[in-house]
Amino acid sequence: MFQLVLSQWQTQRSRWLAPALLWLAIVLLVVIVGLPVLAILLYALFPHINEWSLAEPFSALLPTLADGQLLSATVNSLRLSAAVTLLSCLLALPLAYQRNRMSDRSGRWWDALLMVPFLIPPYIGSMAWMQLLQVKGFSEQLLGFNLAPYLYSFPGIVSVMALHLFPMIYFAASNALRVVGHRYGDVARVFGAQPWQIFSCIYLPLVLPSLVSSCLIVFILSIEEFGTPEILGNRFGFHVIVTAIHDKFSDWPIDLPGASVLSLILIIIALAAYLLQRHISERFSANLDQQVVNPPPLRRSLLARTLTQLLFAMVAMLAVVLPLLSICLSALMNTLSGGLHWRNLSLQPLLRLFDGDGDAWAAMSTSLSLALMAACCTVLIALLVAFAVVRLRARATVLLDFLSILPNAIPGMAIAVGLILTWNQRFWPLTPYNTSLILLLAYVCLMLPYPIRMLSAALCQLPRSLDDAAYISGASELTVICRILAPLLAPVALAAGFIVFAISTRELVSSIMLAPPGVETVATYVFHQFDQGSINAGMAMSLVTILVSGSIIVCGQRLQGRVRP
Amino acid sequence: MKKLFAALTVGMVLATPAFATDHLVVYSAGPKPLSSGLAKAFEAKTGIKVDLFEATAGKIMARYEAEKANPQVDVIISAAWADAISLDQAGELLPYHSANAANVPAALQTPNYVAQGAAALAIAYNPKSGLPAPTRWSDLTQPTYKDQVTMPDPAKSGSSLTLVQGLVAKDETAAWKLFEGLAANQTLVPGPNNAAMNPVLQGAKGVVFGAVDYLVIGAKAKGESIEVVYPKDGTVLAPRPMMIIKTSQHQEAAKQFIDFALSEEGQKRVADEFILPARTDIQAKRPGWNDLSIIDFNEAAAAASAAATKAKFAAIMMK
Repeated sequence: MFQLVLSQWQTQRSRWLAPALLWLAIVLLVVIVGLPVLAILLYALFPHINEWSLAEPFSALLPTLADGQLLSATVNSLRLSAAVTLLSCLLALPLAYQRNRMSDRSGRWWDALLMVPFLIPPYIGSMAWMQLLQVKGFSEQLLGFNLAPYLYSFPGIVSVMALHLFPMIYFAASNALRVVGHRYGDVARVFGAQPWQIFSCIYLPLVLPSLVSSCLIVFILSIEEFGTPEILGNRFGFHVIVTAIHDKFSDWPIDLPGASVLSLILIIIALAAYLLQRHISERFSANLDQQVVNPPPLRRSLLARTLTQLLFAMVAMLAVVLPLLSICLSALMNTLSGGLHWRNLSLQPLLRLFDGDGDAWAAMSTSLSLALMAACCTVLIALLVAFAVVRLRARATVLLDFLSILPNAIPGMAIAVGLILTWNQRFWPLTPYNTSLILLLAYVCLMLPYPIRMLSAALCQLPRSLDDAAYISGASELTVICRILAPLLAPVALAAGFIVFAISTRELVSSIMLAPPGVETVATYVFHQFDQGSINAGMAMSLVTILVSGSIIVCGQRLQGRVRP
Repeated sequence: MKKLFAALTVGMVLATPAFATDHLVVYSAGPKPLSSGLAKAFEAKTGIKVDLFEATAGKIMARYEAEKANPQVDVIISAAWADAISLDQAGELLPYHSANAANVPAALQTPNYVAQGAAALAIAYNPKSGLPAPTRWSDLTQPTYKDQVTMPDPAKSGSSLTLVQGLVAKDETAAWKLFEGLAANQTLVPGPNNAAMNPVLQGAKGVVFGAVDYLVIGAKAKGESIEVVYPKDGTVLAPRPMMIIKTSQHQEAAKQFIDFALSEEGQKRVADEFILPARTDIQAKRPGWNDLSIIDFNEAAAAASAAATKAKFAAIMMK
């Protein structure tokens, strides 16, 4: 692999920047992602590696894998993730297609709204659905019916997770469709193609690499998701690998090597999914010449426009309004047992957040600034990695590419253990461990897959001829990257940055393990409130965070509207 | 932003061992007001800075395990007595007997660790549910309570495991018959303690089998409609062990911290959270040592067979 890099460097001696960037990308990914993952691998094989001892090698493997329930948990994990990915696609594709046919102004509003599911932590979302639909839940108190049997079932858990994750596919697909533009469709229409034909024979293959790549994220996110299976799945005995891993962390006796072994299964599943995605992407790698960056607006009938808006409104109702409403009501209830009565509703829980010791403010500003830094860092690193993977095509990039998906495949708890094993060592002259920097490192590690996936997919769509034209015209590599590729990727980079920001503001599992003493993030604050039985305070904090980070994103998107070419 | 960055950089430099100042690192399981209040009061009294990490017992032990190459923690306060048993068996605890532990019952202290306080496992029911108040554990197997009972999962809640172990130790046949009855009554085992109690507060279910009593009393104090019942056939204590880790670099400070936690002031803070103070001479703000009929059992022996107990319980409940 190194020879290849070297030979590439020799053939392109005048282009020194590309190999330098490749090396930088490799070093960054290995340090941020590779080391903690390696630590987990070693822990699975050597259960005493935490004490720097290689004693009893492989002793954790067999007992863990011999667990009778493991097979059914694995099957459940695969079944759940496949169903969630499929349903997310079904939700996201029509929306993404319609998004590119509506005016940019209303489109940006819907984009902002569909960003909200990223802001809602999965466990809060599941609790919100539970409070809404359970026996004597909000729907029964207000409208007289409950959907408990549906909620606590496989279709129920799939719906909740898909409603939460489909924006990931929506944003990727709508960005990809935007790059494709309408011209191909228009040509087909002139030749008499039906709308369905146009969609399935023209647009779908063109956006397939983006689509498959975002499906991979959704698949792996659902395999890794803990909150919803824990809260809803436990109700009907539905166990997945991640809940099995968390059981090994949750109470006495904890079993870290066992958890690492189970993480290996997730890594293997992720590897298989990744190879499948690569295979599909390569077959459909699209080469779009003459891109229209600014498509002319479509003329559409009033009916079509209304139907589009209705479709968006319906999905937003399910994915955004209902969960938020439920969170809001829970935040306003003085007591859980008091139910929905005017006497039981007040602004007290919300107001109480901001008087007293100021812990809530501190937690929020910690989370917001960490999330902002994580967004900037991940997008920059992702640009680098995407460039290296897509444009340099060295053999090493396959490793780079796979490394970049791993953090999503491994549960946050295991990553946290990996980070502690890596950074809490005496041989480091300087370590981020026990400072807030470890949280930043954890967020960057956990969030890197999103921008990397999104940016490499977008970069795949930009034709190489663009670079070549620039090189022939005498542009240096720096010019190509800064003046040609970067502006074209800017909207995707911003969108990816928002997603990272949103998800980082609420990251729970690694925060709770890694937070240095005395530092609280929003999620750990909420967690401690729940732990003390103050559901309303926890929900109030979640609500405020969703609103604050949501408005930051809206501001960012307005900015994006202005910088768009 | 800039300020935070500066703080982070400074923090990073300060955190490296060469700069470490004299302070005490404490990992504590909830409730948060108790541990942070205790740490602040200790700082004020002794001038020793306390770095407090708060999480669930499981997360604390996970962090402790992962940190073994370069141990950070001096004192651990867990919510699971079994944590202390296993660390003690591994020889990782520093022996210490605090002078303040004189009034702590013998069952709640060993040469190497001592209880801060204890929770009792009880039945909690929502009076609004219209169900009759239960008086015994076995009441909840009656048809009246069908589909109305929840129970914390012994695989996710140390206290629930303690209850199962206690009941099994008391009368093995009766205990497993009881759990079979609960399973037949469609008892819901949804997860940790909160997951079992919330549906009861929200009215979706009516009764918790094996609720952590101080959480119930605390909820009631906040105005929730919930009552705690200590079953006549005896309840099980889940003590919170405090221990000093052998690798501690601040053993004197750690000992002072244990002394403080067992002092009158420290114990009153325990009582304020509705937890049963370890010292029998401190007034509890809830049914105290004399009001509870406690099932005594050998926790170390029970811990040895914990995996089998959990597996058998899961098998019965999954049926």
